[in-house]
Amino acid sequence: MKRILIAGIGNVLLRDDGFGPCVVRMLAARYRFGSDVEVADLGTPGLDLIDYLIGRDSVILIDSVKSGQRPGTILSYRMAEILRGQVAPRMGPHAPALTETLLMMELLGSAPADILLVGVVGESYELGCSLSEPVRMSVDSALDAIVCELARLGVRCALKQSCMEPENWWTKPLPVQ
Amino acid sequence: MTQHIKIDPITRIEGHLRVDVEVDNGRVSDAWVSSTMWRGMEKILQERDAREAWLFAQRICGVCTTVHAIASVRAVEDALKLQIPANAEYIRNLILIHHALHDHIVHFYQLSALDWVDVLQISRADLNKASALAEKFSSWTRNSREEMKAAKDKAARIVDSGNLGILTNGYWGHKAMHLRPEENLLIFSHYLQALEFQRKASQVVAVLGGKMPHIQNLTVGGVANAINLDSEAALGMARLESIKLLMGEVSNFVQSVYFPDSCALAGYYSEWFGSGKGSDLYLAVPDLPRDAQASRFDLPGGFLRYSADNSVGQCVKFMDGRFRELVTEDVTHAYYRGDKALHPWKGETVPEFTDWHSDQKYTWVKAAWYEGQPAEVGPLAQVLIGYMQGHALTRKWTDVALDQVSSIAGHRIGLEQLRSTMGRHLARAIRAAVLADLAQEHWQLLADNISKGDNSVHNPPSFPDGEIEGVGTHEAPRGALSHWVVIKSGKIKNYQAVVPSTWNASPRDKNGARGPYEAALLGTEIADAEKPLEALRTIHSFDPCMACACHAFDPSGRKIGTARDL
Repeated sequence: MKRILIAGIGNVLLRDDGFGPCVVRMLAARYRFGSDVEVADLGTPGLDLIDYLIGRDSVILIDSVKSGQRPGTILSYRMAEILRGQVAPRMGPHAPALTETLLMMELLGSAPADILLVGVVGESYELGCSLSEPVRMSVDSALDAIVCELARLGVRCALKQSCMEPENWWTKPLPVQ
Repeated sequence: MTQHIKIDPITRIEGHLRVDVEVDNGRVSDAWVSSTMWRGMEKILQERDAREAWLFAQRICGVCTTVHAIASVRAVEDALKLQIPANAEYIRNLILIHHALHDHIVHFYQLSALDWVDVLQISRADLNKASALAEKFSSWTRNSREEMKAAKDKAARIVDSGNLGILTNGYWGHKAMHLRPEENLLIFSHYLQALEFQRKASQVVAVLGGKMPHIQNLTVGGVANAINLDSEAALGMARLESIKLLMGEVSNFVQSVYFPDSCALAGYYSEWFGSGKGSDLYLAVPDLPRDAQASRFDLPGGFLRYSADNSVGQCVKFMDGRFRELVTEDVTHAYYRGDKALHPWKGETVPEFTDWHSDQKYTWVKAAWYEGQPAEVGPLAQVLIGYMQGHALTRKWTDVALDQVSSIAGHRIGLEQLRSTMGRHLARAIRAAVLADLAQEHWQLLADNISKGDNSVHNPPSFPDGEIEGVGTHEAPRGALSHWVVIKSGKIKNYQAVVPSTWNASPRDKNGARGPYEAALLGTEIADAEKPLEALRTIHSFDPCMACACHAFDPSGRKIGTARDL
């Protein structure tokens, strides 16, 4: 188990909700990491998120967030702010989200010491595989926020000499007619 | 006085399950179940390469990724009439079984147990009595006084802190909660332990699937796992043995903890065998094929119809022939355009939102029909059908469960009483115990086949020029799942997913027949309209999963259930 997790959260079929998966794939395409860092696209795991957070020292999550601010705005949250979210009644496996996941881990005594949520304010959650323009323009800002956090944690990451294309298979064009 | 209660946990962007019930003299007199999100993921698949459909289908739902992936490749293989190698069947089966065990454990402990277990009563539990009670039910090694003490301390710490954290929103102290303190503690201690074993189930899926939560090893025509008995990198004896260890731990938890806990809970709350009946028609699809030809299945499928006097009607076994022809979807009360029930291959998904109107359209879920009628799917359907067909493992575990429950309840609980809120929970535990046995069996089938020298995992597909149709079915944790595909020259022309919650959360159809959730809620006693715990118990017994959608974090928190008088 690698002690640091950088994970994208969201559904790649619902436009700006795919921000997290897009950012982590871009990150993996541009940067090299040491053996203690795992970069993952976790989709929308609900309470299963616990499975991926348990045993980590530090976690950086990238997700879309709901806020009144301008689409594309990058907002950061730490543990205390995330825990302040209200707990929803259990209506299904999706309902327990990030706040519930961390509260459950607190109950078990296994919450990570450090958590940073890098959120983008979305514009469109319609069906579709492409990010909206303001959200797409914010991918680089999210990458900067992640690199800053890694520096704060004292974790090494280096730009790759030749950048690869990110593996966003869901944005590939349709086959030619 | 009629009260209208709305249980609506939504302000997040994705939309969820909403339940409206009318309560008359303390009982539910009418019910409407709705999903507030457009189920239109199928549109994304149109025009895509059929070989890649499963990658997209896997993203329909973030919790049930593997089930959609499997149903999708099976649909394309069915259209091509493409057989897959036996090894590929076994590897897929092991993945499906462990996804299901993960789901059932999570459902019982994380999503349902606290409907019945009152955390605030735990502080009064006597540790020795709790440990003795646990040992009466099971030989599980982690039922010691020390384990009970650790769980009791955890509960005390969170209650004393004044901030209930994850336990906020429980209906603590509700009249309908009546376990003794030791019984509350016992199940709470396993609630804490369960997380460890649900993770082990996921690890089995990850080892075989290459990655979690999105498996990477599927391909139309089989799997992409390289098999080589002597290689560490490929799937060989070393990796098979490591899976077997994990599988053993998961099976042991299922059969020595989850199963006895379900029996105990059902015995303590045996009055819930008299509530929440639901539909008269049950449907399950056969699964876990035993050979490359998929000629024999280890999980039975069929349909079962009870007549009005509750005597058993016909029970027909099908592979998929009847299923293929008899499924349709009706949109009379769903937010879609159209006026007649359509077969999924001809299915349309054209949204027409009209807001919530109890007598018109009120949900995004289409009404799924089998032979023109609503049907219940899920573990209860599967257990009833398996039992009627004489499926040996289903009979074995059902008989054990009913004996155990009857002895705790102090009166006989029979098979027909499984058609209830508590019966659905018990049936899920029975199914889990059956699957734990089948896991060992399919591991052995795989190991034996590889030992014979068969390393094949993939038969390459070849797509004809014209139009072909296929259906891929999977008996998923929540019941019969089917993906329906029309392919033209290798590209997807139409795609429909009829998911288990489509069946169970169906709105009324054009004849006014209620779907299983709505039917099950009728007659439920509601002691306190501000705390509709009883309605939640019945809805939770189905293992509802509506979202298949996106999740954004909402830092402002959410508003929950409201009640208003009519």
